[in-house]
Amino acid sequence: MSEPVISVRGVRKSFEDGRIVALRGMDLEVAEGEFVALVGPSGCGKSTLLHLIAALDRPDEGAIRVAGRALEEANDLSAHRAHEVGLIFQLHNLMPALTASENVQVPMFELGLPGRERRERAHALLAAVGLEGRERNRPPQLSGGERQRVAVARALANEPPILLADEPTGSLDSEAGATVLDLIERLRRERGLTVVLVTHDTGVAARADRIVTMLDGHVVGSSPNDRSAAAPTTRLAASTRVTP
Amino acid sequence: MFRAIVLKNLVRQRVRTSLTALGIAIGIATVLALGVITSGLKASLGEFVTAGGADFMVAQKGASDLSFSAVPEETVAALARRDDVARADGFELKITTLGSNPYFILYGFEADALGAQGLELREGELPAAADEIALGVDAAASNALAAGDTVVFEHRTFRVSGVYEVADTLRRSGGVALLATVQELGNRPGVVTAAYVTVAPGEDPVAVAEAIERDLPTLAAIADVDDYGEVDQGVRIMDAVNLAISLLAVGIGAIGVMNTMIMSVFERTREIGILRAVGWRGSRIVRMVLLESLALCGIAAVVGIALGLLATRAVLAIPTVSSFLVPSYAPEVFIRALAVGVVVALIGAAYPAVRAVRLSPMEALRHE
Ligand SMILES: Nc1ncnc2c1ncn2[C@@H]1O[C@H](COP(=O)(O)OP(=O)(O)O)[C@@H](O)[C@H]1O
Ligand SMILES: [Mg+2]
Repeated sequence: MSEPVISVRGVRKSFEDGRIVALRGMDLEVAEGEFVALVGPSGCGKSTLLHLIAALDRPDEGAIRVAGRALEEANDLSAHRAHEVGLIFQLHNLMPALTASENVQVPMFELGLPGRERRERAHALLAAVGLEGRERNRPPQLSGGERQRVAVARALANEPPILLADEPTGSLDSEAGATVLDLIERLRRERGLTVVLVTHDTGVAARADRIVTMLDGHVVGSSPNDRSAAAPTTRLAASTRVTP
Repeated sequence: MFRAIVLKNLVRQRVRTSLTALGIAIGIATVLALGVITSGLKASLGEFVTAGGADFMVAQKGASDLSFSAVPEETVAALARRDDVARADGFELKITTLGSNPYFILYGFEADALGAQGLELREGELPAAADEIALGVDAAASNALAAGDTVVFEHRTFRVSGVYEVADTLRRSGGVALLATVQELGNRPGVVTAAYVTVAPGEDPVAVAEAIERDLPTLAAIADVDDYGEVDQGVRIMDAVNLAISLLAVGIGAIGVMNTMIMSVFERTREIGILRAVGWRGSRIVRMVLLESLALCGIAAVVGIALGLLATRAVLAIPTVSSFLVPSYAPEVFIRALAVGVVVALIGAAYPAVRAVRLSPMEALRHE
């Protein structure tokens, strides 16, 4: 049994001097290569959890380990953000003034790649998300679905092993949403990514290996999906935690 | 591409960027114009204190303005008798109005000293009688006067005895007369404003100047512009005003840049959150903000220098000004103007830059 690639233990996160508690007693383990769908009512702490895994902030209490590293001990969270995780937001969150290619290149600055190599990698990534030839378009010139595909390409720019997606299809119509989801699934298979995806859509959740349900800042249910008969299931038992 | 991002951020708010740049440009133009003018003035003064090949000038110590300096003629004679002094030529200054120039400077020298002042006659003679004056070439040209013409000032009529060329600006746009004439005009018999001193061959001018100041404590020896403040507060005031206005320009510029950068950073809080979320280090964000500010001020510096040069030319087009001032385009003046731009950029961007990275990326992302 291998170590989980993401491990969240006893995490608490509050805002506004503790008046808003977004996460309390949050536990989650995700195995390498696993596809976890995170569901739960709005405001239950799903985004906060993803952001903490992505090291966008530090928890008040508890421990988070990602890819074998304890985040509370890491003093360079930028490196973690740049290399370990790729983030996709509900809204694409692209830089409006930059072209699609430049947007994909933004995370590569931390790799210190020469400009030529950056452009080539961006080109390949945009091709992988089906946007070949759109390199020079800026976000306002792209459709919602296309923008979200640029965001997927950007999330994968530094080849992180983990992809965190926060309602990536939430702002798209069903057709565009399906395209983006197919894309995420395909890339996950091709690249062996670990994926944690927040969704409200039961149809989307059904594609995951496991569905984790949250309520009031912690996990209230975790159930493996029937359809996942492949390797990950054997690891599920260990990574399933149900907090009453 | 990093530079491209910086430029795109500036271009996004074209009007704001332009107005801020214009504000700083005006500040830089002011600093430049003041620099050109004050260093021009100092150059004129520098010429003045050693005019005619003298080693230094002596005047009354502590005078608030050189025109108030009074040195008894006997003192000048005593100076001339010293072994370490070759010549001491006392002169009286009178500032009066000639034509459109309200700062016409008339120098009075003893007849024998007049010949030793390095004046090259273009026409006519040096003044030899009480009602004669000779004019510098610029004074003659701007008033369309030639030898033989008459001029009136201080209710007296003078005959122009000649027109001379000379190295220093002040005397080119001024005139000379006999000492007694100028003393009478100023109603200051028996005293002179100052004296030009040439040391005896083989003597060290610095040592002689010190010896004179020691022997005659009421006198100050002035060998260059920096000494000039001992006999004229004007230079000190000019320096102080120059510094004050420069600091004011820097201050106002920095506040303008800070305001613009704070707005621009604040508006982009969410974007900065995204940049940090994809792994940009705080230092890179700080660099981005500082570079934006530097680019903004760089543009402003170029525009400001151009404006400053135009302003200087406009000021110099006034004949009165050009009569005592040749603009000095010393490199320091431009370096100072550029330095103002850089200082303003860094001060103005420091706070916004720090502010941009202080927020956690998570907080930044929630920003609308
Ligand atoms: N930066 C923040 N400041 C204040 N409150 C926050 C912040 N981030 C999240 N919250 C609050 O924490 C709770 C959980 O938010 P979130 O994680 O976004 O929930 P979800 O993504 O499940 O809808 C909500 O009540 C939300 O308003
Ligand atoms: Mg959310």
